[in-house]
Amino acid sequence: MTHSTLNATGHRAARNSALLLLFAGTFAGAQKPLPAASTTLIRNATILTVTKGTLQNADLLMEHGKIARIGTHLSAPAGATIVDGTGKYVMPGIIDPHSHSMIDAVNEGTLSVTSMVNIEDVLNPTAPAIYRELAGGVTTINVLHGSANTIGGQTITVKLKWGEPVDSMIFPGALPGIKFALGENVTRKDNPPPAGQERRYPFTRMGQEEVLRDAFTRAQNYRAEWAAYHAAVAKGAKDLVPPRRDLALDPLVQVLEGKRIVNVHSYRADEILMMVNLARDFGFHVLIQHGLEAYKIASEIAAAGDGVSTFVDSWGYKIEAEDAIPYNVAILMRHGVVVTINSDDDGRARRLNVDAAKEMRYGGLTEDEALRTITYNGAVQLGVQNRVGSLEVGKDADVAIWDADPLSVYAKVDQTYIDGEKFFDRQQDLARRDSLVALKAQLEKAPENQPPAQGRGRIVPPTTGGSK
Amino acid sequence: MQTFLSLRVGAIVALAATLAPPPTAAAQASTRSVPETYAITNATIVPGTGATIAQGTVVVRNGLIAAVGANVKAPADARIVDGTGLTVYPGLIDAFGSLGIPAAAPANGGRGAASFVSAPQLQPSADHPVGITPEVLAVDLIKVGDAEFNGPRSAGITTALSAPTVGFLSGRAALIDLSDESVDDAVLESPAAMAMSYGRGGRGGGIGRGGYPGSLLGVFAAFRQEMLDAQRYGQWKAMYDRNPRGTPRPPMDAGLEALQPVVNGQMPVIFEANSAREIARSLGLAKEFKLKAIIAGGAEADQVAADLKAANVPVILSLNFPQRSAAASSPDSEPELLSVLEARVNAPKVAGKLARAGVRFAFESGGLTNWADFLGNAGKSVAAGLSASDALRAMTLAPAEIFGVSQQTGSLEVGKIANLTVTRGALFEPGSKVVTVFVDGAEIVPQAPANGRGRGGMGR
Amino acid sequence: MRRILRMAAVAAAATATVSVAARAQYGVVNPPAGPQGAYAITHAHVFPVSGPEIPNGTVVIGGGKITAVGADVSIPAGATVIDATGLSVYPGMMDGASTLGVSEIGLGVPQTVDDQEVGNFNPNAQAYYGFNPQSAIIAITRVVGVTQVVSRPVGGVVSGQATVVELVGSTTPRMSLVKDVAMVITLPGTGGGRRGGFGRGGGDNAAQQKQQLDSLEALIANARAYATAQAAYAADKTLPRPDDDVVLASMVATVEGKEPVMFNADGEADIRKAVAFAESEHLKPVIVGGRDAWMMTDYLKQHAVPVVLTSVRELPGNDDQPYDVNFSAPGKLAAAGVQFAISSGEETPDMRDLPYVAGEAAGFGLSKDDALKSVTLWPAQIYGVADRVGSIEVGKLANLVVTTGDLLEPRTDTKYLFIDGRPVPLTTKHTELYDAFKDRK
Repeated sequence: MTHSTLNATGHRAARNSALLLLFAGTFAGAQKPLPAASTTLIRNATILTVTKGTLQNADLLMEHGKIARIGTHLSAPAGATIVDGTGKYVMPGIIDPHSHSMIDAVNEGTLSVTSMVNIEDVLNPTAPAIYRELAGGVTTINVLHGSANTIGGQTITVKLKWGEPVDSMIFPGALPGIKFALGENVTRKDNPPPAGQERRYPFTRMGQEEVLRDAFTRAQNYRAEWAAYHAAVAKGAKDLVPPRRDLALDPLVQVLEGKRIVNVHSYRADEILMMVNLARDFGFHVLIQHGLEAYKIASEIAAAGDGVSTFVDSWGYKIEAEDAIPYNVAILMRHGVVVTINSDDDGRARRLNVDAAKEMRYGGLTEDEALRTITYNGAVQLGVQNRVGSLEVGKDADVAIWDADPLSVYAKVDQTYIDGEKFFDRQQDLARRDSLVALKAQLEKAPENQPPAQGRGRIVPPTTGGSK
Repeated sequence: MQTFLSLRVGAIVALAATLAPPPTAAAQASTRSVPETYAITNATIVPGTGATIAQGTVVVRNGLIAAVGANVKAPADARIVDGTGLTVYPGLIDAFGSLGIPAAAPANGGRGAASFVSAPQLQPSADHPVGITPEVLAVDLIKVGDAEFNGPRSAGITTALSAPTVGFLSGRAALIDLSDESVDDAVLESPAAMAMSYGRGGRGGGIGRGGYPGSLLGVFAAFRQEMLDAQRYGQWKAMYDRNPRGTPRPPMDAGLEALQPVVNGQMPVIFEANSAREIARSLGLAKEFKLKAIIAGGAEADQVAADLKAANVPVILSLNFPQRSAAASSPDSEPELLSVLEARVNAPKVAGKLARAGVRFAFESGGLTNWADFLGNAGKSVAAGLSASDALRAMTLAPAEIFGVSQQTGSLEVGKIANLTVTRGALFEPGSKVVTVFVDGAEIVPQAPANGRGRGGMGR
Repeated sequence: MRRILRMAAVAAAATATVSVAARAQYGVVNPPAGPQGAYAITHAHVFPVSGPEIPNGTVVIGGGKITAVGADVSIPAGATVIDATGLSVYPGMMDGASTLGVSEIGLGVPQTVDDQEVGNFNPNAQAYYGFNPQSAIIAITRVVGVTQVVSRPVGGVVSGQATVVELVGSTTPRMSLVKDVAMVITLPGTGGGRRGGFGRGGGDNAAQQKQQLDSLEALIANARAYATAQAAYAADKTLPRPDDDVVLASMVATVEGKEPVMFNADGEADIRKAVAFAESEHLKPVIVGGRDAWMMTDYLKQHAVPVVLTSVRELPGNDDQPYDVNFSAPGKLAAAGVQFAISSGEETPDMRDLPYVAGEAAGFGLSKDDALKSVTLWPAQIYGVADRVGSIEVGKLANLVVTTGDLLEPRTDTKYLFIDGRPVPLTTKHTELYDAFKDRK
């Protein structure tokens, strides 16, 4: 897709222009996007690097979109914006590995295998959830298809660059993903099919294994078919009808080749183990999503080198969640599994910091271990740990400034930066509220916003049907 | 106040001449040899190309414009229409809609494109997606007639693009003149474009009916797969033609056949898209498959004007501006969102912004039910910064160019089809009225509502 | 002689009973509490809530109640002493609007959901009788320090009566603090309160709603008449004996203003409707839900209506509202002097988030003191049980939680729990599964 030129200059001008709508989906609850800040120095804060310890009364310099320096008594480059970090805490932007934010559709639930659909097609860059999550310190999300299918749609990692066109929000260079689902959401015991139709296969967990095995077998056949075609063409064959491109099988071939991250919604230990083993048979890894019983097979998951992204403590809302425990994270971590927590919910995504803190009481995680489950480990799971997930020089400047220790329930975010640009600022948010209320009052009075006058003469007789 | 009878003027004479129960006006017209040469005299003429003629004459003969000018004399055999105080414009074009196509019948049979509406319980299948019927032709569905066309004609519309409505890749639109002739006679161009609606408004294939695709996600995937299949079909056919011996023959597929001009970039695809992201997605699909794209709707087209310009994609802007309902205005109702308020204020400004950004655009009625709003809202766009000449162009030459019929129509030039819109008052001024229209060289006077007083047509 | 016991010993005394503990449906573990006795919690940071913090204090428990609290308190002979150096003591928390015990697994197991009767008018449906003391959620909620909850029916116009239970006891009568604490009503065409009033109360169209409103008014009028007749007959047996009627009888306390009415209402218009209705029918309203209450504090104060907030964690209801509109609502109510409490607003299994919901509000304008009150003393006051629970005061029930730090902080751990002056084991189904699997190779 064409990268919008509007972004480069016009958009900046638009952002600075007051009180006029200039980009899609303005909503009064999210203030106008903020001017770019290319060099910012945060001074005298507590810096939670997550991977390299915590520095007190330290500085962090963001330049050209990267973390340029971390240390004490840093000097400010010319033109830098200085942020007084006294009493503040700086941590990496939170990574949410399970999100359904910013999409216009979540499930293509009609077929058992819908790997041809792609969540990237339905991303909504104007969704208010983006802004609200920035206000919760989140900077990167793994946008997923829903859990209606054994093999669901393709997924994507996104940086929450509020106000930007959607193309520039896609995480550069991140591997794409795909969503699988096991268990109750797929078997749909309580949902009869539409009248006249047969039930969609599979109705049992047995069938789920079969769908996976069959799909990957077909993908292997498809890959071989194309390889044979390319080989024949390379040998000089002319006018050879190519095999049909099958958009459902292309992403499965990518899975086999390790080029696509497999997110598997799963709850029960047996179905998780089935997936881990099947994936190993076909030679790929999985990122277990939810995995509420993963603790029961932590050794097997660790041995397979697979990751788990779970809820910190949600449980009991359905049968397959009955044995979920808040010690899941601790058990998995102690067994060497790369584990994160996630939200799966626009509301919860705003308080992943509170969720992370719970890990300290349920299993005795240290502060850095708890922070890892919402930052660095998520970067590892999404394959972007060389760019984000911790405060280290050279990484992307995806940073949030909190007004208290983020592991405290009382903490809230002051500012959130992505690639060194500020995308959320609470003070500016507060300062603009009155003017937005005034703008709304003003627009209410505009002639276009009055109801149609009564009794205006019409020229046409009533018609039926016709135009769209 | 004048009111008009909705009869072809010539038929009045013919009717008066028979004693038997009168056959339909159309049948009358086809069986009577009614003189069809007109001269509209002493009128202001806005040809759409070149300067306005303060006082002049337009001559119509055999359905074409025979002469236009300040010094043109009415031929002796012409029926004179006194244009004093009137202005003649090129016939206005409603560049996207489904005029003449009956609303999809619910579930009870019907042939052709409507048939899968009657088969909602399709077992979902990726190989047989519901809602993809590129082979359907609007001309096969259109029913011409008074009831359908009087409304648009009352707004000065003489020509409309009508697209099939069922499904999301619903088929091929036709450009038709809004005459009362048979559809075959009324067609200007068919197929004119392929229609892609993303399945909104309950017309989306399997969406909600249990078939695949069942969501917007599936619509994209199914569209892509169809494009890939069409490309392969074309390559396969070409290979087969080169080498019939030794190549397996490609299976017949009417839909893939219909898509060949589309994947070859010759036939445009009209993407219904209003929000900035819908437009962006459409541009993306067009780029992915090298399609010639048109955007219809375009409510937020101004926000992506630069991309539209860069891709050279025209926009058919809806004139069905959002309006506040009476219910939403009552003191008990929930306050409306800022975005809704802003969208209403912005709607009249979009056309002007596109014009300034150099984006090509035309207008569509967009499902208006009050046809007075077609010109009324265009007038609001003019008041908000669109020049009157650009507004006229968007209803005449611009759509003609977009659909490749600018040789035949879109302006008052000799040799072009005699589609004329005659008004009292300048077209976009408040208070101006459409007095009559000429469609394919025949005058059709639009009808007023039942409480209006009738009077005969203009031609005497 | 004082016995100074360490934490493990106290815990062991309680957990000795765990192996024979009530293992009920689907692997539930709600270990019973130990016996009432004399305990002294010493060297603790005490948060009485009703008064200033005591940085180094003692709380003495006896006979199920708090018998002493202060910086310098004498410890009775024979009391078990718990050295709480470095620890904090709080009153147990209270959730003012839940479906604990009447709804277990909401998704896919309707057999475990008993919170909504059929029909629109069920004043005699009492959560007390639907309450399952074996609910797996009980122990898991109490270990964070929630010691009593209001559990209520949902749905329809008159859902039934809410009950107050303490989170320990093997039968409902033993858990019960107040059998029928409030009537639950959702006026037709209104709604709110998350787990309450699923969608709009009653029917959807205006005609249906009018009909239901008429029925509600008739029910109230009839209940008044019934109450009068019953009282008259009780005073004078020469009058003809009026028939007893369980439905009307269940309304008597409500119509006499002795039992408040929980009105499910979130929107401003709905809240006004509820208050107006209550006043015209001489009922005592409590608003449950209260999402828009912050917009109408003058009104609420003027009408002296308390609010149980269930919406603190909800996303803003409309896109034009600031991102923190619901987080900051409690602070605004407190500043305006409106009486309110905070409920978790979460699905039943996640009720243990109650302290953190209050904490999140404290990040956005509510003082930490008020946040603590909003989940301890204030709900108790709203429901008329503040004489027995809600703060650490002599004479109140010994419902106490001893923690490693700030009660509202998620990293804080619970070290001891007392309900009715009984030590409550901190074993839950979750700790058992943890122990079973943490070292599995």
